[in-house]
Amino acid sequence: MDAIYSFFQQLPFEWTQFHFMVNALLAVLIITPLFGLTGTMIVNNKMSFFSDALGHSALTGIAIGVMLGIDNYLLSMLGFALLFALGISAIIESGTSSSDTIIGVFSSAGVALGIVLLSINGGFSKYSNYLIGDILSVQGGELLLLLFVLVLVAALWVFSFNRLMTASLNPDLAVSKKINVRLYKNLFVIAIAIIVTVSIKWVGILIINSLLVLPAAAARNIARSMRSYHGLSVLFSMASGLVGLILSYYLGTAAGGTIVLAAAVLFFVTFFIHRFRARA
Amino acid sequence: MKRFLSFLLALCLAAGISGCASTASQEQPRLKLVASFYPMYIILLNLTDGIPNVQVDSMAGQQTGCLHDFQMQTDDMKNLETADAFIINGAGMESFLDKVTGELPSLSVINSSEGIALIPSGEDEHGHEEHTEGDGHDHSEFNPHVWVSISNCITQVETIRDGLMALDPQFADKYQSNSDQYVAKLTELRDRMHRELDSLSSRDIITFHEAFPYFAHEFGLHIVSVINREPGSEPNARELADTIRLVRSTGVKALFVEPQYPKTAADIVGSETEAKVYVLDPLVTGEETKDAYLNAMEKNLQVLLEALAS
Repeated sequence: MDAIYSFFQQLPFEWTQFHFMVNALLAVLIITPLFGLTGTMIVNNKMSFFSDALGHSALTGIAIGVMLGIDNYLLSMLGFALLFALGISAIIESGTSSSDTIIGVFSSAGVALGIVLLSINGGFSKYSNYLIGDILSVQGGELLLLLFVLVLVAALWVFSFNRLMTASLNPDLAVSKKINVRLYKNLFVIAIAIIVTVSIKWVGILIINSLLVLPAAAARNIARSMRSYHGLSVLFSMASGLVGLILSYYLGTAAGGTIVLAAAVLFFVTFFIHRFRARA
Repeated sequence: MKRFLSFLLALCLAAGISGCASTASQEQPRLKLVASFYPMYIILLNLTDGIPNVQVDSMAGQQTGCLHDFQMQTDDMKNLETADAFIINGAGMESFLDKVTGELPSLSVINSSEGIALIPSGEDEHGHEEHTEGDGHDHSEFNPHVWVSISNCITQVETIRDGLMALDPQFADKYQSNSDQYVAKLTELRDRMHRELDSLSSRDIITFHEAFPYFAHEFGLHIVSVINREPGSEPNARELADTIRLVRSTGVKALFVEPQYPKTAADIVGSETEAKVYVLDPLVTGEETKDAYLNAMEKNLQVLLEALAS
């Protein structure tokens, strides 16, 4: 870590002189490719509402952690998010209502339950920094955890990308190829739950979904192949993360929001490129 | 699915009801006093000691801390409806007061900060301006944390005592003697704190919530900067960087956080500078005992001595 700090201290920028900015930068460099990568699959499967619901469930996870008296809410959040995610996908599969309705029900129930549980213990506002995230407070050990998750997700992608893709795009084809569709769907859902949980504290409940969806949506506007779609999504994600973080330092704005705004700008730029191309 | 949801709903309702019903009393008390929050509650505990059949409630729960975080619930209003007096800190701390007096115009309210000279709340956009009394802002808003200064707290005790004596003249003598006893203890503590703190050479401190101007004023401490003006909002990168530069250039040795708020911002500043992070209690939460204020203040004294005397 010291080597990294001293490297950044030699850079001729004002913001690299501070350890907390270097930590935040590293966190952004780990989180954004993670989001770019999973975002593509979320956009493909029309699951953006699903990941949003997962983010909201973190509130209940925190509340449960508070009630159990756990200091680190990561475990209770992760446990609840997994339960929540698998619960949603099981109920969607039962086919009683349309999936957006079911997700909507879970999402609002998750938030409401979180608020109710937290209000029992008095004072909801103590946890309000989970709403907008606090990437500036990320520390060394937490960076390692994020890195570990990045490696895990990258490995999942490398080893099972084709099967994941087939299972999500065309379940019938997947079954005919003897792919266990349910296993891969659940694997993907678990991956999203883990990613959302480990990064929620830094990114924030309100904007975590924008970071998952926006870069992938922007990449989809202009990508011409599956490969370029994924590449561009990761690239857009990292670019908006970097630009947003550094801009937030000079403008004195909240880091998370600035990053999402940068991603939104990218989306509209690619949207017009797409329109322009279609006309030409 | 429906069954699951109705179960969830029932669970929420049950939890909501059982959470707030603990203060209900069996017998009808002769006199029912409701304190708006913890510091007022502790004062009431001292003043009503030994007076028969008085019920003292604290409206904001133990975990709430400063009333910035407090949302009034239906139960609180119901509790106030049957109260004989509502004892408040005033100075803008009870932002819901208009709602209460609007709904319950006949409720008698004892405003304990009446007559105390208020310090304007020093809001600025960057959080790095020096905080001094009346620094040119013409804000009508005042800093409400008056009780953190012991002298102000004594004034509050006496104001509340006068209110209670008028409300319950039967026991006026007892209120008077309770007040005298408590004020004596507070005065003794204040004088001792002056003796120990006045000789410190370094008096610059940084705090993370605007709770200490009155305290600092009383003991001649100099608050160089207040980091989180709004509780619950973390400072952005610009503000953190400015604070770190400020600490490095002024050589402030001590950063003070409050036990009621997360200390991430303080830890960041602490890890990038020579300054250490200490916990200073603004006495908004704690034990529900008569001596809680005295004990917590005593602890603050020890923390200040450790932080500044080196």
